[in-house]
Amino acid sequence: MSIELVLALTTGAALFGVGIYGALSQTNLVMIMMGVELILAGAMVNLVAFWRFLHPETAAGQMFVLIVMTVMAIEMAVGFGVAIARFRSRGSVEMEEAVELKG
Amino acid sequence: MTAQMFFIGFFGIAAIWFGVVVFRTFSMVRSALALLFSQTALGAMFLTMQAEFLGVLQIMMMATEMSIMAIFMVMFMMDPGGMGTMDMTHQKKLSLWAGFVSFVGGVAIAVFVDWGPIAAIAPGAAQQTVDLGLELLGRSMLIFEMAGLTILTAMIAATAISIQPLKKKSQ
Repeated sequence: MSIELVLALTTGAALFGVGIYGALSQTNLVMIMMGVELILAGAMVNLVAFWRFLHPETAAGQMFVLIVMTVMAIEMAVGFGVAIARFRSRGSVEMEEAVELKG
Repeated sequence: MTAQMFFIGFFGIAAIWFGVVVFRTFSMVRSALALLFSQTALGAMFLTMQAEFLGVLQIMMMATEMSIMAIFMVMFMMDPGGMGTMDMTHQKKLSLWAGFVSFVGGVAIAVFVDWGPIAAIAPGAAQQTVDLGLELLGRSMLIFEMAGLTILTAMIAATAISIQPLKKKSQ
């Protein structure tokens, strides 16, 4: 067992945990997006660690990280689009006030 | 203890610490800066793991992304400076438990799974970039193209939902 790999995976798990806490506990849309960013960051650390310590000979691991970065950018773009639309129509991005979205 | 082990641990702790600060501070600007530092520490961690291209890309991308995020946070928050120490959380206990259980589960998998043989060396920075380029424009080209197309769609969608409707504008 490589200590470096375990350290990197533990960092990934911790960032994932903090992100889950943030995404579930925050009431503001922008703060929820910050939680999701941390969750994706945790996934990225794991992917880089897997590439470096298990399969450095293939670039597929690095390619996967680029895809996660793309997902982060898309999440930001669409999230802020929704935030602007919501702010314009309701004057707030507080998710506790968005009761009409309840199923 | 090797230098790589030390720096992975150091930047890992920094990334986690700043990640926690994001949700601990009342000031939105501090919150965005903490997320920027967390992501930068992650970029430094990538550099320590010899993923030079990804490390630099992460730092550059997050620096711009978090600056934009800080502007949006100041625009949208009711108390961006955090002067009123307003609590903007709900279901705290459940969230804490969900975060803790995910962390413990992740650590258990990291420690108890047999990951097989560990690679001692990684290719050099130049070789990595060549390999990544060949991967992106070879075997993974379809996935790479789809990512580009998805970004374009997201940009159009984000602009479409955020622009003011013409009808309302004229009123």
